[in-house]
Amino acid sequence: MSAVIEAWNLSRWYGNVLGISEVNLEIQPGITALLGPNGAGKSTFMKIITGQLKPNLGEARIFGEKVWNNRRIFRRLGFCPEVDAFYEELSGFEFLSGLLSLYGFSPAECRKRAEKALELVELSDVKHRQVRSYSRGMRQRIKIAQAIAHDPEVLILDEPLSGLDPLSKRRIIKLIKEFKAAGKTIVVSSHVLPEVEAMTSEIVLIHQGKILARGDIYFIRELIDTHPHMIRIKSPHFRELAKILATEDYVLNISFEPPDQAVIFETHHRDKFFNRLNDLILESSLTIDEITSPDDNLQAVFDYLVGK
Amino acid sequence: MRNEILRVFSFYFFLGKKSARTKVFFMISSASALLALVIRVYHLAGNWTETGQVIFQNILMVFFLQFLIIILALFYGTSIVAEELEGKTLPYLSSRPVARAAIIIGKYLAYLSLTSAIMISAVLVSYFILNLDQDFRLADFWTAIRYSLVLFLGLAAYLSFFTFLGTWLKRPILVGLAFGFGWESIIQYFPGTTQKLSIAHYLKSLLPQYITSSGKLGFLFIRLEPTKSVVAVITLVLIAVIFLGLASLIFSYKEYLFED
Repeated sequence: MSAVIEAWNLSRWYGNVLGISEVNLEIQPGITALLGPNGAGKSTFMKIITGQLKPNLGEARIFGEKVWNNRRIFRRLGFCPEVDAFYEELSGFEFLSGLLSLYGFSPAECRKRAEKALELVELSDVKHRQVRSYSRGMRQRIKIAQAIAHDPEVLILDEPLSGLDPLSKRRIIKLIKEFKAAGKTIVVSSHVLPEVEAMTSEIVLIHQGKILARGDIYFIRELIDTHPHMIRIKSPHFRELAKILATEDYVLNISFEPPDQAVIFETHHRDKFFNRLNDLILESSLTIDEITSPDDNLQAVFDYLVGK
Repeated sequence: MRNEILRVFSFYFFLGKKSARTKVFFMISSASALLALVIRVYHLAGNWTETGQVIFQNILMVFFLQFLIIILALFYGTSIVAEELEGKTLPYLSSRPVARAAIIIGKYLAYLSLTSAIMISAVLVSYFILNLDQDFRLADFWTAIRYSLVLFLGLAAYLSFFTFLGTWLKRPILVGLAFGFGWESIIQYFPGTTQKLSIAHYLKSLLPQYITSSGKLGFLFIRLEPTKSVVAVITLVLIAVIFLGLASLIFSYKEYLFED
């Protein structure tokens, strides 16, 4: 299958600061996730392939054409930027239909497409409210709606799940998968591994402006699973939990935070740990208030992978 | 390209109508009507001896020509790019199938229409408040229209120049203020051809000459060496076209970065 998006030796600096360096990438139809910590270069890469920025070196092409100032490509491209920015005076409906009008659709067609996009992101009931009154999650969804409203063949979504509640995340992930099923090319960026896992198995690991690894989720998982994970559980029964899980061979270390009624486990097998925890909750009367991963920001994993 | 300009124009004209800035400038421009009303009441009470025409000329020169069109053009022109950068909304525009030059021209035309509507309505209302009486003739109506057209030309030229500054400079407002209220005022007092290096010179050349010898603020014209009307009109149109072209050219090739 031929690549829809191609990048050759893409490099970009902001003064003395490196954005990305010698990135070579070919992206086929389907969902490809760019995974990396904040400041890794994901947004820079996306800005270049959507024609927002020019590379200092190298070239980016979509459907074999250069992107910068290329209106033919923009017609086939949908871009959801990371920044939380809008024309705040407009309602959600006006925002979408206004941007749709820039494609040259008739007013009736703009209205129809705006309605459909609002329906897809489940914002129809608040479409006449000003965007400034929307919650963070609603703003994120209207941003996604503007990217999909003209039915593009290529979707570039920069941190699309950021700020969404779990239910909204599931809806958007479902929507992205529907786009994939329709044969479209989707590139999403994220710094949260479980979110990426829910969307795709095709992952590009990016760190400090360079591509570290590319492959399916299992390959990445293997790399990551050798790195110990920290899991913090807040529960009134935190001592009992620690006692039971201490017997498991994949639990490497346990520490307590009594003032918060929390226990921190260190494990090199996150999946096994969570499977056991699930069973434990179902079997016993233990209650859990909160589960967090103190090092789930990937930075620790990336530092580990690059040997820091 | 024409269709793309029209699309951008429609979107930003709609957006501009809803913006708080437009409401604020509408209020500011309405101050001229209020001033005209106060003067008319004074005039009717016999406390003001000059004719409505002369009083209006003074308001035209001081408020409209030397303040309102500059401030309107400055705030709308420099914001054409700056508002997209500060609001971080530029990606919504630059990822749409419209030429970058069409973005600048479309926004320029939308803001020119909005600011002209604000200004011309204020000019006409003020004029009629001061001059509408039993002696009012059709010729007076054409005078008001002529004044409005001159101001429109001035607005088009200033807006184009400030649009150019906005695409070129990172902080255009300070340079714009220095140009609009510094250079444009001071240069008028220089004799000879130096004063032709300002937009205001060509605008003043298009306004009635009798004001130079009368009116409370006639000193503003003391050193005016007017350019022929045809030349003044052509120069103003050229200023508008050239700076708009330059702005479009810069925006087509320049990269704009947000300050993340």
